[in-house]
Amino acid sequence: MTEYFTQSQAIDLVPGLSASRLAAFAAADLIMPVPSDQGPGFRRIDLARLGLLCDLADHFDLEDDALGVVIGLIDQLHATRQRLFALSEAMQAEPQDLRRRVGARFVAILTV
Amino acid sequence: MSTDPYATLGLTKSATAADIKKAYRKLVRTSHPDLHPDDAGAEARFKAVTAAHDLLKDPETRARFDAGEIDASGAERPPRTYYRDHAEAPGQGFGQNRGFEDFGDPSDIFAHILRQRGRGAGPGFAQPGPDLRYTLAVPFLDAVRGAKTRITLPEGGNLEVLVPKGLQDGQTLRLRGRGGAGYDGGPAGDALVTVQVLGHPVFRRDGDDILITLPITIDEAVLGGKVTAPTVDGPVSVTIPKGASSGRVLRLRGRGVMRANSHAGDQLIELRIVAPPVIDAGLSEFLAEWRKTHAHDPRKAMMEGMPE
Repeated sequence: MTEYFTQSQAIDLVPGLSASRLAAFAAADLIMPVPSDQGPGFRRIDLARLGLLCDLADHFDLEDDALGVVIGLIDQLHATRQRLFALSEAMQAEPQDLRRRVGARFVAILTV
Repeated sequence: MSTDPYATLGLTKSATAADIKKAYRKLVRTSHPDLHPDDAGAEARFKAVTAAHDLLKDPETRARFDAGEIDASGAERPPRTYYRDHAEAPGQGFGQNRGFEDFGDPSDIFAHILRQRGRGAGPGFAQPGPDLRYTLAVPFLDAVRGAKTRITLPEGGNLEVLVPKGLQDGQTLRLRGRGGAGYDGGPAGDALVTVQVLGHPVFRRDGDDILITLPITIDEAVLGGKVTAPTVDGPVSVTIPKGASSGRVLRLRGRGVMRANSHAGDQLIELRIVAPPVIDAGLSEFLAEWRKTHAHDPRKAMMEGMPE
C-alpha cells in the first residue's frame, strides 16, 4: 500500500521546504499531490521530487519557469530511460539469434 | 568525512564567500544524483560537497572550523532518497553512447543495459555502503557508567552498542562498518546511533556533574552529623554541617560523571529539611519556648523596599 504524508509532514521531512514554497510549486504544477478528505497526500516519490526542486531552487536560483523547464527535462529523461529498460527486458525473452541481429543493428545505429 | 572541506571544494583557506558559493554550484551541477542518474559515484561526491559547503557557508562555523574548534565531521545530514531512485531504477554506462562500439556479442547488449541499472553495478565502481541511522534510548545510569546494549534491527538481527562512560543526551555514536553493505567490494557504511538518555528519579545531570536533592531531618540540620547519600557508584557517607539550611549545596569532588580523557565531575547535594511526619507535644513546647527568647526573621532583608 502506498504511504501518504500530509502537507506538514512533507515540510518537516524535506530540508529547505516551506509552506509558501510548497504552495508555489503546486500552483506551478511542478508537484501533484493526491487530493483526499484530509488534504493533499504526498507519496515518497513526491517528497524526493520536492527535495530535488528545493535543491534546484537553492543551488541554482531557479524559479517558476526555469524550474519547470529543468524538472520537465528530468522527467523526460526518466521516461526515456524507463522505455529503454522495458525494451531491454522485452528483448531478454527473445531467442539469441534475434537478440544478436537487433543488438548488432542497435549498436550500428548508435555508432555511425 | 574527515577530509579538508576546502580541498573538497577545490579551494584554499583564502577563498571568499563568493568563491565558496561559485565552487559549490559548479560541483553540485556535476554531482547531484538527480542530474546524473547514470553516475554511481554521484551520491558520495554530492554528500562530500554538501557537507563541505555546510561547514563553510556560514561565516561563523567557518571561523570555528578555521580555528580548529570543530572538525570536518561536524555537519551530519539525515539520509535522503533521490528523485532518481523513484523515477526509475538507475544504472550507469550509457548516458553517453561510448563503449558500445567494441561491444562483444550483440545479443548480450540488452542484458548489459539491464545489468547497469543496479547502482554501482559497473566494474571498477566499488562504493562504500550507505550509513544507516538508528536511535537508542539509554537508561540514565548506563549512560553515566557505560554499558553494553543491543539495538534490535528492523530487518531482524541486532547490533551490539558499547555505550561509553559519560555519554550525553543527543550524542551520536558511529559504529564503523555496521551500516549498509558496500557495492562491488566497497567497504560497508557506518551505523550512526543517536542516543536519548532517559531520566532518573533521583539523579539529574548538568554536564559532568550529578545533582541530587537530599532530604534531612530538623535535628540533622541543627546538630549536623553523618548521613548516607546515594551516588552513581553506590552509597557514600556525607557529613551534614551543623546548622545547615534547606538549599545548601554540598560538593562531593570526583563523584560525578567520569569520561575518558576528562576530569571527573562532582556530585552536588542540595539539602532539603523535612519536618517529622508527626509533630509531638515535646517538640512543639520546646520550640514555643525557644521562640520567646531567640526570635529572628529570615525574611527581613527580603521585605525591605517591597510594596507596602
